[in-house]
Amino acid sequence: MIIDIHTHIWAGRYESDKQELMKAAELYDIYRIYVSALKSYYPDEAEISELNFEVAKFIKEQPDIIGGFCYINPSNKDALDVLKKGIEEQDMEGMKLWVAAYCDDPKVFPLVEKCIGYNIPILIHAFHKAVGQLDNESIGSHVANLARRYPEAKLLMAHLGGNAYNGIKSIRSCPNVWVDISGSIFRRDDVDYTKKLIGTDRIVFGTDMPGSYFTNFGQIEDADLTSEEKQLVYSGNTLKILDRKGRIL
Amino acid sequence: MSTVDVNCLVGHWPFRKLYKNTFEEVQKIHKANGITSGYVSSLDSIFYNDPFEGDEDLHEIIKGSNYHHVLTINPMLPEFVQDVKDGIKKFGIKGVRIYPGYHGYSLANSKLKELCHVLADYNIPLFLTIRMEDERSDYLVRPNKVHMDEVGSFIGRVPDNKIILLTAFSNELISIKEAINNHRYVRFDTSGLKGPLFAVEKMLEVFPPEKMVYGSLYPLYSFSCTYLTLKHAQIDENIKQEILSCLFLTFT
Repeated sequence: MIIDIHTHIWAGRYESDKQELMKAAELYDIYRIYVSALKSYYPDEAEISELNFEVAKFIKEQPDIIGGFCYINPSNKDALDVLKKGIEEQDMEGMKLWVAAYCDDPKVFPLVEKCIGYNIPILIHAFHKAVGQLDNESIGSHVANLARRYPEAKLLMAHLGGNAYNGIKSIRSCPNVWVDISGSIFRRDDVDYTKKLIGTDRIVFGTDMPGSYFTNFGQIEDADLTSEEKQLVYSGNTLKILDRKGRIL
Repeated sequence: MSTVDVNCLVGHWPFRKLYKNTFEEVQKIHKANGITSGYVSSLDSIFYNDPFEGDEDLHEIIKGSNYHHVLTINPMLPEFVQDVKDGIKKFGIKGVRIYPGYHGYSLANSKLKELCHVLADYNIPLFLTIRMEDERSDYLVRPNKVHMDEVGSFIGRVPDNKIILLTAFSNELISIKEAINNHRYVRFDTSGLKGPLFAVEKMLEVFPPEKMVYGSLYPLYSFSCTYLTLKHAQIDENIKQEILSCLFLTFT
């Protein structure tokens, strides 16, 4: 069973992105897809509202396949209300942070505390870059800081932290950080390296569709993983972090 | 029918440990996926002061196999033409691979033009590396960017050379689609087609199928990423086979 924890619909491409995600689910036998909607790096309140509305609509249209992450700009005044609406009214199952603020910025803390209360995962974009690092774009060390401040929070660091050698090393001692392999970097050895440092219990399958799919699926297939370990990555670990009944502390 | 990976390598990569970097590992994953041969070059040669030493090692590793030796050439080094001739004579090379990003020269450099003359004379394809690592994950060394407008101009200046563009992204290739489509002998490999979803199908809306050849950049990149992207593409099976068969070798 395959669950994709990390996909998007992009503003202005809602219909085509939705169609491609559903087509991929059918063609590649993906059991469930988790979506967040994105547009600009520093979205205002109206933009965030529109993006989350689209995800909620998609969930309603395809409840058996589509789940949602509520996208938040921690700098917006209504951020806590948006999170509350996303979880309590729009059937979303986690919070998504992108590049509007470092994930260990104090303005993120009330949101994290709310997520701990809901017992939902926080999907954090983290990407260490040799070139093109954005202002306020988190890397592994920011995720580790947040994880140590809130050991009861379920954090999901996206993209293996961009450069896995930076990201995985940073969070290796944080048991409340899972990592997803989404994104367009598909080096042969990143998953094996990640397994060596943190084991397979904390690796989660994600893609960044509509950006890519086999770029990520192929990495798991090529890695030195047993069939049981692959199943953990493809769905087992995901089910665990999405389970709101099971607390990690 | 043969199925070929035009972009595979053997050796060490100085910036990170490669877990599957031997010729045996390359053959193993190829065999497991029905790939019968490959165009293989030396990772070591990229960084050696005399690349030919890395190719001597590669020759010892692959000789007797049905894999094809692709010689690494840095045309900024002395006597590179002699290296090409020696590579033909000693190794039976089937291609010459260049790394302008790592070796730091422009595609307008006269030495490269000289190399292209030699390759055209011997009817040997030029494997032009656009990148190795994704630039975001570079470590210690930041190779020069190989700009696609320069690639477009370059291939326009060498109409008689067979050229395979390696590890260019979809959008980069599309940005010079006229230059690629107008050049009878230019091909590109699949190792840069990391996205978007249904990348092969979308590229075939822009390029005729004969322009695309299968290349993985294994063991730097995950083999199955590109292989499964092609295998699961919603395209005619004969076209898939054509892409995997590397017919560019026989184009005249």
